[in-house]
Amino acid sequence: MAKARALDKRRKSIRNIRKITRTMELVATAQFRRAMERAVSAGAYTQRIAAMVADLARAGASVSHPLLEERQAKNGAALLVLTANRGMCGGYNSSILRKGHHRADELKNDYEKFRLLVSGKRGISYAKDRGIELTASYDQFNDKPQYEDVVKIADYILSEYLAGKIDRFEVAYMKFISVSKQVPVVETLLPLSELASDEAEDAPESKNAEYEFLPSPESILEEIVPTAFRVKLFKCFLDAAVGEQIARRVAMKAATDNADSMISILTTTYNRARQGQITNEIIEVVSGASALQG
Amino acid sequence: MKCIVVTPEKTEIDREASFVVVPLYDGEYGIGKGHTPVVARIGAGELRITSADGGNAAFFIEGGFLEVSGEVVSILTDRVLVPEQVSLEEAESRLQKANALPQTNSDLAALKEKALVGARGMLFAARKWSKK
Repeated sequence: MAKARALDKRRKSIRNIRKITRTMELVATAQFRRAMERAVSAGAYTQRIAAMVADLARAGASVSHPLLEERQAKNGAALLVLTANRGMCGGYNSSILRKGHHRADELKNDYEKFRLLVSGKRGISYAKDRGIELTASYDQFNDKPQYEDVVKIADYILSEYLAGKIDRFEVAYMKFISVSKQVPVVETLLPLSELASDEAEDAPESKNAEYEFLPSPESILEEIVPTAFRVKLFKCFLDAAVGEQIARRVAMKAATDNADSMISILTTTYNRARQGQITNEIIEVVSGASALQG
Repeated sequence: MKCIVVTPEKTEIDREASFVVVPLYDGEYGIGKGHTPVVARIGAGELRITSADGGNAAFFIEGGFLEVSGEVVSILTDRVLVPEQVSLEEAESRLQKANALPQTNSDLAALKEKALVGARGMLFAARKWSKK
């Protein structure tokens, strides 16, 4: 019975693995829904900010701010790479790291000083394995990034940027396009390219009202630009959280399906081996009996 | 009139109101029915919403913007706390920390000013609520 028993053992262990991957798939599905909800409710804020900027521009405030100006100086650059804390999510981490690594090399050549910031344990260990120096690393962001935590990073970047220590800030992350499509991208957050981003289009239709600005359009703009940057960075974190859960769900679904097909193949092989063994034994008994009769 | 309070994380409050008092950068600002369209900077302090049936609700908000347009008062703010989440001790220690910040150049001074405004607003609200 040696071969059949070995097959049965393998089948059992695959069944156990299937249980784990199936559970992880369900957990990822639930977390994805929660992350998605957060991302959607965060959209309300960005839309209103965009609408407000549009109103300001209409009111004749010249949209100029130190954060919006493209700089000629190439003193320093910073890149923030958003990876997951955990694996088991297919090519999610590796695709971002590949993209981020490539961009980091480019920035290192173009700028005098280069800083690399990484969020997520996967990215941190990637850098450690390759001896890449990190300026800062964060592992407190899980599937529910908090605005307060993101603001701390945003304010650090803002102060370095305004002090002229960095002239460019980019983020490598998984951009959410739709439930079935996410792409790893590197986006420039500073200088802010445009305030009224693509979200302004679906912003609530603002009535062409004559606004009164307190204290002045310029003062509000001064305040709104850093806010827009913070929210944009927060959105990157939210997108990354959603992307991670989708990637994990897909990877775990594939793993469960593979386990299913392996189990069915092993079952067939096991049955065949078992049947073969029984046939063998019958032949032995029959031939033994006929030898005795003879 | 509708009063909507939105933080970057979610829409915190969305309800009908008859009167709203918002803490602006230079003092409280009351908004009643048929108010002129306004966009303004918010400081830190107590947000009071009087609902149509006369009930009052108070919150602590800090930073952000106010927009009044038509019959909608929208408040974009970094954070919203209910009175139970604000303690006098926390507000006092915040003010001490803010006072201890350096102001050696204009950037740092601006940061300190911002921290002071937040701490004073919180302390003011905490004192008011602790009396009740």
